[in-house]
Amino acid sequence: MTFSMKRVTAILQKDYKDISRNLYVTTTLVLPLIMAVIFGRDGKSTLELIYMIINMGLVLVGTYVQASLIAEEKEKNTLRGLMLSPASTLEIFLGKNLLSFIATAVIVTGSILLMNYNPGHVPAVVIALVLSAIFYLGLGTLIGLMTKSVVEASVIIVPVMFVFSFISFMKPFMEKYPILTFIEYLPNMQMLDLAAQAQAGTGFGDVGSNLLIIVGWVVFIHILAVYVYKKRMVEE
Amino acid sequence: MENVIEVNALEKFFSKERALKNVSFSVKKGEIFGFLGPSGSGKTTTIKILTAQLKPTSGSTSVFGVPTHQLSKEKYRKKIGIVTDNTALYARLSVYDNLKLYCDLYDVPESRIYEVLSMVNLAGENKKIVSKLSRGMLQRITLARAFLHEPELLFLDEPTSALDPVNTKHIYEGLMRLKEKGTTIFLTTHDMNEAEILCDRVAFLNNGEIQLLDAPKKLRQQRSDASLTVELTDGRTIVLPKGPAGAQRLFDHMNANEIISVYSNQPTLGDIFVEVTGRNLV
Repeated sequence: MTFSMKRVTAILQKDYKDISRNLYVTTTLVLPLIMAVIFGRDGKSTLELIYMIINMGLVLVGTYVQASLIAEEKEKNTLRGLMLSPASTLEIFLGKNLLSFIATAVIVTGSILLMNYNPGHVPAVVIALVLSAIFYLGLGTLIGLMTKSVVEASVIIVPVMFVFSFISFMKPFMEKYPILTFIEYLPNMQMLDLAAQAQAGTGFGDVGSNLLIIVGWVVFIHILAVYVYKKRMVEE
Repeated sequence: MENVIEVNALEKFFSKERALKNVSFSVKKGEIFGFLGPSGSGKTTTIKILTAQLKPTSGSTSVFGVPTHQLSKEKYRKKIGIVTDNTALYARLSVYDNLKLYCDLYDVPESRIYEVLSMVNLAGENKKIVSKLSRGMLQRITLARAFLHEPELLFLDEPTSALDPVNTKHIYEGLMRLKEKGTTIFLTTHDMNEAEILCDRVAFLNNGEIQLLDAPKKLRQQRSDASLTVELTDGRTIVLPKGPAGAQRLFDHMNANEIISVYSNQPTLGDIFVEVTGRNLV
């Protein structure tokens, strides 16, 4: 099967036109920026707080907006039209992820600038942020595919938001409750650890394991999303 | 003539409920094949299986000579057009933007948008936002979308159910033009008149089972007693049997200039459906 960039950009353009007329989504995009202004304006925020805002941006835009886009396509049956077209799974996935990715990149960058956050090792942090964005998009696609409507996706996003935005504040409890050590391996925690090391002046070699774990999450979530998509293509 | 669709001993169960029972038929290239039956008879289930949206429980189905589960390949998708009862259009986008997406997906020039809109009697409506359109207009845009890439095989699930007579006629003319170009059309409907006008052959589906399959004309002829109904100028309506006696009486009335109209007593497809299945097509 040939790969067609024309099909990918066609889906991207369609999503752009659709989203620009969707007040629900456009207001969601502004929320992380408002949070960044409220919590980061004094420039003295802790790394945990900065990454809470960054992760909130990643979850709200990367996951929630993406989940809403997919869930709405499912709800209105338009996803079926894409599935029945000559577009391949890769083309549809790329097309459906591109807009959310661009929006996530813009919002997260905007949040970072508003909070005056200067990462210690910019390339490492940027790579980790890009990988994290790809992970959150995969999570959004998965949630969108598994829910029946935009409303259902909006409900499911609440615990997801908690886990990926606020769970870093549970780190002190890990020593008391060893069962919580799994938290350490979540992509947001790896991102935070990487950022702390970068702030302390370490190089790529020291954050390699963090990046690898995030890559593992990226691969896992996208394989799962493709599997669910393929299952949805053909009803039993 | 080659078969575009082949279905053999197809069965489909949803849990323990049997939706299709030993369904077998084939559709020839360039044919308009009607799948007739009331709601819930298994028409949409069959289309879903034939377009690889639904797995059959047993039996074999092939389209263009390949098993239907292989239809996800790009070259087959480009040959197929599907119109379901669900319009599946992007409500916030214009008619043009909806069709442009599919032009790009099927690699069709944008100029084709105006041709297909004209085919469904919607020329000049391209800038309208989909959410503001009536159900009939939405159905016509869905048809236009299916016509965009000039598919070799078109699946139409109740394509004119929301249309008024004028637009229905327009769609029929469009479908006949596609047939002339060699498009094979698999049409499900419960409109007997539609089947009579469009279909080369029809299958009667009842409770998931094909009960009769043939050309509409043949089905009517097979069940005709060849009698005639005659309306006379004195207000009477008489039935004339076939054979010399009936012919003589017809001649006498004609000779006396007493006839207003003469009708064949061939049953309609609707009559035959009721006779075969004991059910009305609703």
